[in-house]
Amino acid sequence: MRNLRTYFFTYDGVVKALDGVSFNIRRGETLGLVGETGCGKSVTAFSITKLIPDPPGRIMDGTILFKGANLLWGLEREAKFRPVPKTNRVKVIRWYHRIKRGQDRMIAVRGGGISMIFQEPTSALNPIFSIENQIGEALLLHRGVQIIDGLLGATPNAPAVRVARDGLVRAARTKDPVAIREAARAFGAAANLPSLGTEAYYLFRQPVTDPESRLSELDHAVRRTRLTHWQRRYLVRQRRVLELGRLLKEVYMREMREARSVGGPRRAITNRRLWERLKTFYFGLWGVRGRMKKPLTRETFWQAVQLLEGVSIANPVQVARGYPHELSGGMLQRVMIAMALSAEPELLIADEPTTALDVTIQAQILELMRNLKARVGTAILLITHDLGVIAEVADRVCVMYAGNVVEIAPVKELYTRPLHPYTQGLLSSIPRMDEPDKKLESIPGSVPNLIYPPTGCRFHPRCPHAMPVCKEARPPMTVEGEGHTVACYLYNGPVYRG
Amino acid sequence: MQPGDAPLLLSVRNLRKYFPIRGGLFSSHIGDVRAVDGVSFDVHQGETVGLVGESGCGKTTVGRLLLRLIEPSSGHTFYRPPPDVETRLRAIYEALGPAHLALDANGQKLPPNADQLLRELSGIAQKYSLYRMSPRQLQKLRGKLQIVFQDPFSSLSPRMLVRDIVSEPLAIHHMGNARQRYQRVAELLQAVGLNPEHLWRFPHEFSGGQRQRIGIARALALRPDFIVLDEPTSALDVSVQAQILNILKKLQAEQDLAYLFISHHLSVVRSMSHRVVVMYLGKVVERAPTEELFNRPMHPYTQALLAAIPIPDPQLHRERILLRGDVPSPASPPPGCRFHTRCPAVMPVCSKVEPPLVPIRPGHFVACHLYPGPEMPPSASEAAPPAPLPVAS
Repeated sequence: MRNLRTYFFTYDGVVKALDGVSFNIRRGETLGLVGETGCGKSVTAFSITKLIPDPPGRIMDGTILFKGANLLWGLEREAKFRPVPKTNRVKVIRWYHRIKRGQDRMIAVRGGGISMIFQEPTSALNPIFSIENQIGEALLLHRGVQIIDGLLGATPNAPAVRVARDGLVRAARTKDPVAIREAARAFGAAANLPSLGTEAYYLFRQPVTDPESRLSELDHAVRRTRLTHWQRRYLVRQRRVLELGRLLKEVYMREMREARSVGGPRRAITNRRLWERLKTFYFGLWGVRGRMKKPLTRETFWQAVQLLEGVSIANPVQVARGYPHELSGGMLQRVMIAMALSAEPELLIADEPTTALDVTIQAQILELMRNLKARVGTAILLITHDLGVIAEVADRVCVMYAGNVVEIAPVKELYTRPLHPYTQGLLSSIPRMDEPDKKLESIPGSVPNLIYPPTGCRFHPRCPHAMPVCKEARPPMTVEGEGHTVACYLYNGPVYRG
Repeated sequence: MQPGDAPLLLSVRNLRKYFPIRGGLFSSHIGDVRAVDGVSFDVHQGETVGLVGESGCGKTTVGRLLLRLIEPSSGHTFYRPPPDVETRLRAIYEALGPAHLALDANGQKLPPNADQLLRELSGIAQKYSLYRMSPRQLQKLRGKLQIVFQDPFSSLSPRMLVRDIVSEPLAIHHMGNARQRYQRVAELLQAVGLNPEHLWRFPHEFSGGQRQRIGIARALALRPDFIVLDEPTSALDVSVQAQILNILKKLQAEQDLAYLFISHHLSVVRSMSHRVVVMYLGKVVERAPTEELFNRPMHPYTQALLAAIPIPDPQLHRERILLRGDVPSPASPPPGCRFHTRCPAVMPVCSKVEPPLVPIRPGHFVACHLYPGPEMPPSASEAAPPAPLPVAS
């Protein structure tokens, strides 16, 4: 991310929420983003996914390079700005069709490339849909083609299924959970449909005296995965629509990578997509669609259960059937994480994921995120104001103050050798569990008003080492060690260039 | 500071607050939310008592009960009982045992002279308990017991000048004339680190930290000797939080104030308090001097709580104690020990019998079946420290 500037145009003037923010996130690493309230942490997160409410906010300029594609391409053609005389307001003239095009392009990266966990799990989920429904929606959107392929390729009638079924009964008699799990997995593999294995596992998980009594239910589950002729036709047609959507994403990615419009293929795909939708319309008729979609909903339900299992929820089947109001904050945050990971993103933006939770629940969630990082290997941008959380999870830390990045360093380096006066102040103002008698230092003053930010270095009014030069010009980022850059005139290392 | 040095200020005994749940036919009483269920502790003059626990464990309710902002279901808070009364109270409660509460008696019997003891107790309560005072007595006492609220954005009236906000308690208690009040307000603002020019501003012109200072100035106006600090820094940033904590410490040293510091943030509690009370689902699970509690936590819940705090030091690697599941609902708390559903060291007895709060070492009380009674004399206990808890990995 390079030189990102996001402004909010309000009646009081222009709030310069982000003013030249640059940092890198490497594949598979966790970058912590720290700062006080109102320093632009969340605005950064929303800018990366282009979720800034527009109006009033606008990303002014900058580039966000994601795997070589500039997500902000075409930005300068979306709006023009005219200052209103005698006020500090600015009139923004927006070309909404171009803004819409820019937003459309984001479907290429949202979910599958970059996904996000929001701060308030209670308000991020829709209260009127069940958990299963909401995770299923994300699954269909991002992995629809794979899901349909799986359904079409399933072999519930194969002779191996019969053999695996007997194995499952034998394992259920031993009452050994590991054996049951293994047998259920083998059952799913025999039917060439892993979700059937999950379903079988939850049928036999509870210790039953008589496993044969569950067999009719198991057979029923198998019967549900057999597709009728019309269901198969519906799925094939749906797959074609989804395939076009995937092509469209690739075209958008190409546009952003090559920084030029490739209107021809895009228009062709959009038209064909519309045509396919029209052709599938009659399947969408009331009473027909439900029956057609049945195999699909069954599949997404059990995949959602698998995802919930992955975020260590003890009773995933009940949770998947439930609604958001039935769950506690910690559970909801797990559901959010499961949903964000459903598309296997390459970058996960976690915007204060644990602020609304209690410490014991916070410890559970952090442990979960550490495990997921090891297992899935996604890069994480962890936004928080809690330096303790950062120390536990992050690899590198980026400290922000009033819309500027002031210091970036590897996590150990930052805590042992903080260079910027703001970072030093921040670190010495936390009450520490391990050093209780330490006198708490505090940073005098408070965060500046971003409509009239201080000139030069934005920290100079509160800085203990302020010099005359600090008032005049913004300090450049200088390199002060391996991967350690800082924006302060106290240090005069070589200037950092990308 | 030793608890014995300073005179006793508040003595909380068996405090309970049940909020009724109404529903069903004719909105009849169908159950209780046991927000606070038998809480006891002492506050001495000039000391800070930390009150720790997760959200929904009844911390804030205790704070509001201590000021009688809400009426308790049962129990007493004695204000400044003289030493002889205090020893008598101790003896009465000792003799009565947990049986007179009749709720978690575990089959214990009342002593034969219970009637007489209860009568004596109510006699003392008439004189010293906050909940037996007449409105007029209480009005006098309100100046001595003050509170600073959690949210500085909603606890100050947006229509009043700072001067009016801070001088309102003085006016209510008829302290001095207008000129004296004005001077006192200016003094107070100085004490909390604001300028006299801030007198003529409205709350919306201030940042969160400055508003919290105004709230503190308002609480200090009547020279109280006890302030409930209900999560005073949880709405603030760390750098501002440090400013507020330093001001609170300075004021305590100058004016010999006692605080009840309510917080879920254990590291803040450690830096502020002399003694700490840990609550879980309306019950006190552990009570000890700060250093003792943080160096030798005894209750499994306290241990897990301490292990869960992220420490801002990437080089430190600790053993983690992860609690499974969530806090149960206080409307239907689990039987026996309320923590047994999440406890890593749970035993069969835990789900049947509720453990009493027993002293383990001087001043250190724990309610857990792992620690059935006082340890051996100090020399012996140091030679053989208690066996470490089995830790769930």
